[in-house]
Amino acid sequence: MMRDFVVVGLSHRTAPVEVRERLAVAPDHLEQELRAIAANGRFDEALLISTCNRVELYATSTSPAEAAQSAKDTLVTRLPDAVPDDVLYQERGVDVVRHVFRVASSLDSLVVGEPQILGQVKEAFDAARGAGTMGTLLGRCFTQAFATAKRVRSETGIAEGTVSVSSIACELAKKIFGNLEGRRTLLLGAGEMGESAARSLRQTGTQLHVVNRSEERARTLAESCGGRAVPFERLTMELADADVVIASTASSKFILTPELMKGVVRTRRHRPLFIIDIAVPRDVDPRVGNMDNVFVYDVDDLQQVAEENLAVRTREAAQAERIVEEEVQSFVSWRRSLELAPTIVALRKRFGQIAQEELQRALPRLEDLSQSDRAVLEAMGRSLVNKLLHQPMTQLKADAAEPDGALLIDAVRRLFALSEEESPQSEASTAGGTEAKVTQLAAAATGPTGESK
Amino acid sequence: MKAGLFIATAVLYALACILYLFVLTRGSDKAQRMPGTVFVAALGAHLAFLLLEAPPGELPLSDISQILSISSFGIGIAFLLASYRFDVTILGAFVAPLSLMLFLASGLGSSYAPVPPKVQSVMLTLHIGANVIGLVAFALAFVAAIAYTLQERLLRRRQLSGAFQRLPSLDVLDTMGLRAVLVGFPLLTFGMITGTFWLLRSGGSEFFVSQALGLVAWAIFAGVIVLRVAAGWRGRKAALGTMMGFVFTLLVLAGYALRAVGGSA
Repeated sequence: MMRDFVVVGLSHRTAPVEVRERLAVAPDHLEQELRAIAANGRFDEALLISTCNRVELYATSTSPAEAAQSAKDTLVTRLPDAVPDDVLYQERGVDVVRHVFRVASSLDSLVVGEPQILGQVKEAFDAARGAGTMGTLLGRCFTQAFATAKRVRSETGIAEGTVSVSSIACELAKKIFGNLEGRRTLLLGAGEMGESAARSLRQTGTQLHVVNRSEERARTLAESCGGRAVPFERLTMELADADVVIASTASSKFILTPELMKGVVRTRRHRPLFIIDIAVPRDVDPRVGNMDNVFVYDVDDLQQVAEENLAVRTREAAQAERIVEEEVQSFVSWRRSLELAPTIVALRKRFGQIAQEELQRALPRLEDLSQSDRAVLEAMGRSLVNKLLHQPMTQLKADAAEPDGALLIDAVRRLFALSEEESPQSEASTAGGTEAKVTQLAAAATGPTGESK
Repeated sequence: MKAGLFIATAVLYALACILYLFVLTRGSDKAQRMPGTVFVAALGAHLAFLLLEAPPGELPLSDISQILSISSFGIGIAFLLASYRFDVTILGAFVAPLSLMLFLASGLGSSYAPVPPKVQSVMLTLHIGANVIGLVAFALAFVAAIAYTLQERLLRRRQLSGAFQRLPSLDVLDTMGLRAVLVGFPLLTFGMITGTFWLLRSGGSEFFVSQALGLVAWAIFAGVIVLRVAAGWRGRKAALGTMMGFVFTLLVLAGYALRAVGGSA
């Protein structure tokens, strides 16, 4: 029996966050959870990926249909009662390989190209190794997935350019100020997007000051973002001291006018100032953007950058898919080289060829052979091959299904120099087809010997 | 041998230019190290060329062609050092063309006349040496200024993909420009004082144009420094000032070169 891959899981594509979070497993519980899953399920190998956007159980088994059912049961028991189980998807065989490669390369992510997923897949890989639920097949598959992800990152621009307004604001600030450590951000107003941009900047090491007409509001906001509340009257002074200003007030008039800013620029001795105007209607008079060393980006600018970056990523994704496909093909051919059926065919072909060659060499030296004499000699050659191969074939058939079967097949291929090209399998062969063929071929290999007994 | 080495150096510089520009405009991660490697190779070839050409036991500063050549080499070396200090390897896209230009100009100099023996002295070597190092510093300031102007333009026009991503931050470019000018200025000042000394001794005619152009460059750089330090000037205006100053510095060299050509004709 061939071992095959299965994956059952759910992701941002199929399930809302309320469902996903019910299934998520914390990284430090992954190993333990995996042991439990492996103990109850019918898997040869198992691996669990759990992120806030996906929970997926990967397995290999000699009976993939049962394994898929078992994996599904495992996940279904964790689903909330009211949730239909069609939030779960499953894949089998080579589709699983493709899926892993796409996931690791961040092609299946909510934000295509985001870098975290690769780390999360690596964590899952380590956990499976730690739990002892990973064997050769999953091991090889995931190792190649990491290589694929690396190729995708270095050969395409899929991870280039940030795509959220907050992170674009941060990137721009870095391009103006270099190191943001110790710089100061001034958050003006209390819009939600402004708050999130301020948080992002805070994370890069800037200090945060919050100014709001309502001091109460400023205090709560400052507390929640780790900043300092400053009274509104100090606005001009704060503007002179800040490096980045996030304007996000509900004011219907411009707050940062050229008249105000002229004084500010003088006080700050022309140090560069980056103003992010997230407010709608705008807080910053557009003329301020023409002042030297003052850079103003409004929400449309940022949105446009986000869209451009996203468009670049989408374009690059097509190239990435091609890389994934190449890698899948390379995995498939490695896999095929380890399949039983082609190995048996190749082995028989090799032995038969030798018998045939020797026969051709011997026949001319024998004189006066009748037709039946020839037939006897030919039959002898065949039978010799069959007898010689009988024991190895039987053993190979029996052991190929064992967890280390692939290694045995690999050994046979190397001992008898059976290269991959000799494999007569067509690419289209499915797992089921292969199994049928194996039985048939194995019978062919052992059959004649049986009869001659 | 000499001609072959000259051509090899020029070709390597040109190749480095192309590779740097390629990485700047549409570089991928894979190609990032290539231009630097080629540029270092160009500097290696250039060094071999300088050693081959230099009179034994002397600095290769005896005529304007050698001065141009060694300035070009010095700019490359200073840039490599600067890329350790600031993370600015991509500025090779501006340094390499400058190096190439000065190097090619030095090659035209087969017709340049050497400095007449009567003015040769230790003082002259110091005068030329200080001016060459000053020129190298201003060249780096110039490169930083160009990159600053370009980067600021891209930021203001919201063209944030491509070159904008690869160029260093405005702050780094501004700081680099200021420091390089601060290094170059005392050297230029020394060069001006020694230059004036010769000008007066020669009766005021011989190098008058060059000296006048040098004075303009000196005044511009002085202005840039004063405005930066005293009035807090920075960014675009400072970059424009620096670029103008450097152009005048180059004009001084051009003046000498033309004089040399004219003198020998």
